[in-house]
Amino acid sequence: MHPRPGKIRPLFSSAATTAYRVALGLCALLITLSGVTTYAYFHANYWNRIGFAPNQPIQFSHRHHAAELHIDCRNCHATVETSAFAGMPSTQTCLTCHSQIFARTTMLRPLVESRDRDVPLRWAFVNRLPAHVFFDHSIHIAKGVACSSCHGDVGKTVLMAKAEPLTMRWCLDCHKNPAPRLSPPESIYAAVASPRSSDDLMTYYRVRTDALTDCATCHH
Amino acid sequence: MAATAEFPFGAGDWLPGMDRREFLRLMGASLALGGVSGCVRPTGDTLVPYVAAPEEALPGRPKYYATAVPVEGFARGILVETHLGRPTKIEGNPDHPESRGATDAITQAAILDLYDPDRSCTPLRRGEPSTWTAFADEWGRQREIFAGTGGRGLALLTEPTTSPTLLRELEQFRTAFPGSRWYQHTALADYAPDGWQFDYDLGRARVILAIGSDCLFRHPACLRYARSFAKLRRVEQGQVPRSRLYVIESTPTLTGAMADVRLPASPTRLNQILDGITEAMGADSAGEGAVGPAVAVLSPDERSFIRSLARDWRLVAPEVLCVAGDEQGSAIRRWSWALNERGGAVGHTVTRRAAVRSDGDPRSAGGATALAAALRGGEVKALVIVSANPIYTSPEIRDLADSIHRLPFSAHLGSHADETAAVCRWHLPEAHFLETWGDLRGFDGTPSVMQPLIEPLYGGRSALEVLHALHAPTATGNGYDLVRETWRQGDAATEFELRWASALRRGRMEERPAHFGGDGVPGRVPSPSGRPDADRSTDPFVLGAHAPVGMVAEAAALAGKEEGATAGLAAAGWTLVLMPDPNVGDGRGSNNAWLQELPRPLTQLVWDNAALISPAMAEALGIANGDVLALSTDAARVEAAAWIVPGHAPGCVSMALGYGRTRAGFVGTGRGFDAYPLRRGSAGWTVRGLRIARTDRRYPLVTTQRHFTMEGREPVRVVPSDRIAAPPPDPTTTLYSPVPPGAHAWGMSIDLGTCLGCNACVVACQSENNTPVVGKDQVARGREMHWIRIDRYFEGDPAAPRLLHQPVPCMQCENAPCEVVCPVGATVHSSEGLNQMVYNRCVGTRYCSNNCPYKVRRFNFLDYRSPTDSPVNLQKNPDVTVRARGVMEKCTYCVQRINRARIDAAEGNRPIRDGEVRTACQQACPVEAIVFGDLADPSSQVSRRKREPANYSLLGELNTRPRTTYLPKVIHVGFPAA
Repeated sequence: MHPRPGKIRPLFSSAATTAYRVALGLCALLITLSGVTTYAYFHANYWNRIGFAPNQPIQFSHRHHAAELHIDCRNCHATVETSAFAGMPSTQTCLTCHSQIFARTTMLRPLVESRDRDVPLRWAFVNRLPAHVFFDHSIHIAKGVACSSCHGDVGKTVLMAKAEPLTMRWCLDCHKNPAPRLSPPESIYAAVASPRSSDDLMTYYRVRTDALTDCATCHH
Repeated sequence: MAATAEFPFGAGDWLPGMDRREFLRLMGASLALGGVSGCVRPTGDTLVPYVAAPEEALPGRPKYYATAVPVEGFARGILVETHLGRPTKIEGNPDHPESRGATDAITQAAILDLYDPDRSCTPLRRGEPSTWTAFADEWGRQREIFAGTGGRGLALLTEPTTSPTLLRELEQFRTAFPGSRWYQHTALADYAPDGWQFDYDLGRARVILAIGSDCLFRHPACLRYARSFAKLRRVEQGQVPRSRLYVIESTPTLTGAMADVRLPASPTRLNQILDGITEAMGADSAGEGAVGPAVAVLSPDERSFIRSLARDWRLVAPEVLCVAGDEQGSAIRRWSWALNERGGAVGHTVTRRAAVRSDGDPRSAGGATALAAALRGGEVKALVIVSANPIYTSPEIRDLADSIHRLPFSAHLGSHADETAAVCRWHLPEAHFLETWGDLRGFDGTPSVMQPLIEPLYGGRSALEVLHALHAPTATGNGYDLVRETWRQGDAATEFELRWASALRRGRMEERPAHFGGDGVPGRVPSPSGRPDADRSTDPFVLGAHAPVGMVAEAAALAGKEEGATAGLAAAGWTLVLMPDPNVGDGRGSNNAWLQELPRPLTQLVWDNAALISPAMAEALGIANGDVLALSTDAARVEAAAWIVPGHAPGCVSMALGYGRTRAGFVGTGRGFDAYPLRRGSAGWTVRGLRIARTDRRYPLVTTQRHFTMEGREPVRVVPSDRIAAPPPDPTTTLYSPVPPGAHAWGMSIDLGTCLGCNACVVACQSENNTPVVGKDQVARGREMHWIRIDRYFEGDPAAPRLLHQPVPCMQCENAPCEVVCPVGATVHSSEGLNQMVYNRCVGTRYCSNNCPYKVRRFNFLDYRSPTDSPVNLQKNPDVTVRARGVMEKCTYCVQRINRARIDAAEGNRPIRDGEVRTACQQACPVEAIVFGDLADPSSQVSRRKREPANYSLLGELNTRPRTTYLPKVIHVGFPAA
């Protein structure tokens, strides 16, 4: 017996085709979304830890010291003008004042213990660059990059938090065009950023831009 | 051995056990995992400030301290770079006459010894960990016994020293124990075997004859010699002063490679050749063509060497100099002095002074042999060995180990628990020279104060402190007080403090002329110890009118006997030439991985020594590279792998000492072949009557360069000194902008006319740039990591070729072939013309390395980093990234130093000065062959060097337009007759 010719039933129902198209669309959407999400996540302040203040052994307030008491940055970060490393104050530096002031408070107990037991304080990094980046504080200060340009308005923050993403793109934004980000000499160490400008500061600081975007300027 | 041997065997084969699918699967997995690893945020470390910051602490900036490195007991002034109290690099001290700012490879590598994890970290009693207190207790009981006997039976063995404080301590030791005996032992040369120490001024000698001497490379004063030698060899504006170096040697050395006329000669031929020279020199210029009886018996090569030498010598005398190797024995030494005296060189290019080192000190009771005799006679009850390792270096004294082992009390102070430590009751950890106070004299007598850079890492103590504690256990003797006491020299306190401060800053001590040569203590030892006084009647060197002594008489018996030696292997009568290893010396550098992996000059062998033979001998006897030979004398038998060296004298075999160690440490134990058993005493550098037998075994010797010849391509241009011609011009076609737009254009010039090939640059670069060590197996696969290498070539007749070498760092090509093939932009050009390598972009395709015609790119095939808890990490330069696995790396022109100078200049609002940026290789170079600087500044030194007409590019015909260029090797022609 031969099969009778008749109406051929479609392999898939029209609903299935619709479902397939919807699924396809959803897939495309999912891929796009995951891309967007990933991008957003890794560019978000959360991932870059902007505004995130890590736990510190002592709840040190930059607002109080730098803005209210007008203590110069260099009083504690003493090597910022001379070395790649800005310098962290030694226990003795803190004790210059705090052997007398608030010396018995609970908050400063780690400091007193550090002195008594001759064990250094251990501060959590707020701004951490990868090991293959060689950043030098002194040259940035010498060329008119204010503390606040990278560290934010420390005079307004109680607990120190990261202010800028410190990504390579962020670095390069300035290395490609430093002029708008320079500060006049009097406001380099300002605890709160003051208005910035302009091209004549490039001349004033004798900023040369030709090697600023060479890889080896920061990576060696 | 030519082009076909370029790639290691099997390099082109696909590894079995992995098919294409498997490979792709693994690649995919690696890619995915690599991606995942990027998703982790680095966390962890904390910022740790000081509790109380030390004065002058400047985190992020290195500090330099002046001290001195002991080189066979002599001082060489150095500056040590420290980062927050962590020594990281050794540089030469420009203020020190024995350094003048330069270093050699061994000095550079000394920093690694400081962090050697195998250094002893606790006293051992019969191999069991103990304490210093336990040692002090046990010694206290011994001391009471010896106090009663006046020290009779107490023996001290040290290495010969120049340290005034150590000599002072030894004197006090003898005062406390008058019956004690002091022995000295070194496996290396005595630079004043007869009490006189020769010193040369190579910069004033226009004809130099070196007899078996490697004085430009292996000598306590080699840096000074090399620098003054190079002074006459530098081409300025196409001209070079006329001078000529003649070398007679058996084993090719770097001094031999610098020779304009080189004569390979077995030690058995040497005496006849010297007699020929005596005769030829004696003939006046009229009789130049005549051939006397001594010359007549020589070979044509030897005859033409002598004729040429005699002619040049006569023409320029007294600007002549004959240097006899310190391993050559006193007859040749006297001969050379007589020749110098006859040529008028004495007082002009050669001087002599009383010995600076204590070898011949009359208070000393002799060497290891004398000690062994005393032990045998039961005269020694207690023995203290300071720093020496006689069990390894004097195996010819067969009962030494047993007799020391049987002693009721024996102590060994040493950095490692070595062969000698194993036979002693006590082993005490010795502190590294960068950890202790001390003092030494340079070869020229200049005293240097050594200051510690760091507290002893492993709880070691210095020889000074231990010796002091032995005789004065109650006194508080730390090295600082002991050294200061020596140098106080009766000064008022203020005056002394000023002198002391200046000594620490400059790295050399000012001293009263009256104290020279003494032990620094006024009135204690009035004259230099053991040196002959100036009484001419007893002086063996004062020969008056009758000039060079005949050599044949002393040698005739030996020479004739060994003529037949080439007859066959079995014939007894080969000559063995021993020498300290160029890198590990007498074995003290064995556990230093930098030195082990540093290719030996000319042989380019790594991690091993070998029995070096001439090509003729290899052919005659059917020996191939790596065949294991059995070398035997009547007393001992040693097996060693053979290595053929063009230019090696026929009829003799050379072997370096310092290998085959049994207790050197993780790096050095069991490497190579121990040649000491063949030696007859510490002064025996030539062993006659050697028998050679083939074994059927082969041993894998690893070299970094398999090519002998330049294949007609002239990477090293060789020009005669009277026609320093310009090279053919390089092509200049380019589609790119010819000069990068930056303010500076960095470039380098390397002068092959002065380059010694001494490897100082290689280790300096390794130290500066955190270059890893990869091990023998990896080097065998061509994976060595040195950023600068010394290529060497043998041109001409393999029996007497011209020995050439050439340092090759990254050429920093302007048309860099590596850059265009990198798929990820990990190697790109900087505005200042640097060919930058960006590690964090590199994905490890290795295309760049394949496309590099100079093969200067190095790839991290494996993770070559030290384990994170290894003390070796403390040596790392914090200004240079430590590269991970899978990353390409190469010379950067020390860009971290360029950046440092750029920042310093910018902060000072001034341009970068010429000479402010010095690359690590340039800084180390003893002959200033490497010049680095800014080509954009026409007055810079490097610009001037590059304007020399003879300046040429390596493989310039490839249109790579390298920023590193070379000046040719200049061969000096003979002097024109006046």
